Amino acid sequence: VSGPRRLSLPRPARVCAAPGGQPLAVDGRAVAHVRESWLVEDRWWTEQPLRRRYWELVSESGRDLVVFHDLADGRWFRQR
Amino acid sequence: MIACVLIPRFELSVAAGGLESLAGRAVAIAPERGSGPIGEVSGAAQAFGVRAGMALGEGLARCPELELLGADPIAVAAAWERTLRTLEGIGAGVEPARPGLACFSLDGLRGLYGGSDELVLVAARRALDRPARLAAAPTRFCALAGALVTRPRRTLIVRESARAHLAPLPVALLRSRERTAPLVDSLERLGIATLGELASFPRAALADRFGTAGIEAHRLAGGEDDPPRPRQVETPLRESLELPEATGGPALEHALAVLIDRLLARPERRGRTLRAATLAARLIDGGSWRSGVTFREALAHPERMRLALLPRLAGLPAPASVLTLAAECFGPPTGEQHALLDQAGVHRRARLREAIQQMRSAAGADAALRVHCLELDSRVPERRVMLTPFES
Repeated sequence: VSGPRRLSLPRPARVCAAPGGQPLAVDGRAVAHVRESWLVEDRWWTEQPLRRRYWELVSESGRDLVVFHDLADGRWFRQR
Repeated sequence: MIACVLIPRFELSVAAGGLESLAGRAVAIAPERGSGPIGEVSGAAQAFGVRAGMALGEGLARCPELELLGADPIAVAAAWERTLRTLEGIGAGVEPARPGLACFSLDGLRGLYGGSDELVLVAARRALDRPARLAAAPTRFCALAGALVTRPRRTLIVRESARAHLAPLPVALLRSRERTAPLVDSLERLGIATLGELASFPRAALADRFGTAGIEAHRLAGGEDDPPRPRQVETPLRESLELPEATGGPALEHALAVLIDRLLARPERRGRTLRAATLAARLIDGGSWRSGVTFREALAHPERMRLALLPRLAGLPAPASVLTLAAECFGPPTGEQHALLDQAGVHRRARLREAIQQMRSAAGADAALRVHCLELDSRVPERRVMLTPFES
């Protein structure tokens, strides 16, 4: 039996963002609406601090998406 | 490095009694019970455009001289078992994919055969009793791709990265895996011709379009693959009974009951229950028939085994001359002591454990997992829950 594995791991995403950081398109799909945005800062007391700006979005096809911008390395990820 | 052993037209050559008898003949394995797709085809038949999996009518239209051979699954299984044991005889932990295709890791064998991959493959070729295509590569999928293109009696060793080697190869290679085979037609229709083009797409896009099969295809095309899982070698446990001519109906049922009693009486069973068995028959008009049965729960009760196996006898395509029953997979030993008091919870857990074992034997080790809560209130989603193997 294979070992334990985590759920909801972040997957890299191609995000086109406005200068203010708001996503305009995710993996080629245009964003129709921003539902929510929040900041997660954690583990700041360790060697690997975590700083993420999350965005909950609705695509033009009506799909609910959650993406975040890793403020440490600048990359974008999708996460459910 | 992973080695792949490919013996083309294995089933056909066994059914025809050797590769030599196929030379220049347009031959194919006949469909089961007279209808359905044809099996493996010879090179001469392939030259007429006949392919395995083609409807019989279409095959005959393309090649009117096509000869049909009855399938012989018993002989194929025996010949394949001999081949696997030959490879295991050189020390390889072999993972069989289907008759004629197997792979094994070279990592533990180099020290035994002079320290190089080439020498291990030479030893494997010497051990095999029939021409085979051998290739070694960083992954199983890449090794299979190498074995498909290498010439018989030649050996190919892929030294570059799997991704680079696979990049110019056609996506049709994905047909070799059960999960990714249905994707090939769609990918070709979309204009994705090579594995390199497929690997250049984002994995998320393929997952959106094709689901988990798309992720698997992307992994393979990108040079990722699981390591080989060697089979567990056990002493085969089988019983056979020669039948009088044209036995059928109650006599056949009686023969099955005798075989079950004999199999359960074998000391090698060591009190273990049976989880899966194979019923096979050699047919009077040549050829053979084979049918596997996975029991709903591991058992060693002759009457319950008879009830599970009896319906399979209705699938016999012709009268049988020899009936064989073989144990394929064992369960826990019998002889459990029952409790004095009724313990519903214990029974329930035992039944759950049994159901999980059964599911894992049918669908693989990952068939039963448990969602384990770690930090449900965490603001970081990947820290909240994880999947662990289910252990009741």
